[in-house]
Amino acid sequence: MNAPNEHEKIRSLLSLAASGALDSAEEMSVESHLRNCTECAAEFEHWQALAGGLRRLPTPQLSPVVLQRTVALVREAQVARDEHRATLKVLIPLLALSWASTIFSWPLFKLASGALRVVLGIHAEPDWRVFAFFVAWTWLAAGVAAAMLSSQQRRDRRLA
Amino acid sequence: MVLDADVVQLRRGDLDALTALIARYQNRLYRYLLRLVREPAQAEDLFQQSWLRVAEKIRAYDPNRSFDSWLFTVARNLALDHLRRVHPQSLDEPALRGSDSESLADRLPSREILPLDRILDSERSEKLAAALSDLPATYREVLSLRFEEEMKLEEIAEVLGAPLSTVKTRLRRSLAQLRGTMEAHGFHGDPS
Repeated sequence: MNAPNEHEKIRSLLSLAASGALDSAEEMSVESHLRNCTECAAEFEHWQALAGGLRRLPTPQLSPVVLQRTVALVREAQVARDEHRATLKVLIPLLALSWASTIFSWPLFKLASGALRVVLGIHAEPDWRVFAFFVAWTWLAAGVAAAMLSSQQRRDRRLA
Repeated sequence: MVLDADVVQLRRGDLDALTALIARYQNRLYRYLLRLVREPAQAEDLFQQSWLRVAEKIRAYDPNRSFDSWLFTVARNLALDHLRRVHPQSLDEPALRGSDSESLADRLPSREILPLDRILDSERSEKLAAALSDLPATYREVLSLRFEEEMKLEEIAEVLGAPLSTVKTRLRRSLAQLRGTMEAHGFHGDPS
């Protein structure tokens, strides 16, 4: 004869038992209780039926169109990511080189313009604004060229 | 843990491996998402978003973790964000299995299936799916992970980011609520 509190305890475990969600000690005590308690055995059958029904629910099928679209989308995104990574690998060293050239070209500019002034007999000092103008112009031209190339690349990819 | 060859290849940037994984998990992942959001169009959209996220974050995937758990966690996070955005309903509550060994449910004999049971199977399945759909999202997902995905309780805990005890509680409550709904529809303990 099972004690009433044990009966209630086991009863509360029956849904988990039918789900295979008990540890081995709990399973053993449930199993032993069920051998002697017809009421709990009947209750356990109900939970088993519910669990079995859930396991046998039909699996909704994904449409093949969605599958193909997903594969295409993911591949496209992956290619774009790879291209972005490759671009960054090239762009970062180039930017560093450009900045280094800009910084070091000022003394070179002064030196060259000094020599030119001697040859031409001009007495004016080299003007930093002229230098800044040439640097800004060069960066602007490079930026426009990069934007045009990138836009062309995107257009090509869309058409491909 | 032995890593799936396709997962290894995907981590190396192999797009064919990604395609193979999408095809392999298509119905499982879609079913899980459908159980969570209930709308096929939304589940399809989330399916796409999940794989985009997987491809983006695969380098952050910890190979010591189960890929299934990681994949379902990614999908779950997206689905919950979606649910919070679209239906700001309460998502708190839901629970599942313990070990690889044969469980009590497996060992004890299951009821004999009578011809009448077979005839009524389809109707019962429909009612059960409808009753499942009426449960809160947190209950739906724990039942789907346990019974449809056949995940262990530990794996479910990983996907939910919740302790094992919480998973068990959610599982018990979700089953109780589901049974209540089925009985209210006249299916007394026999939804199989």
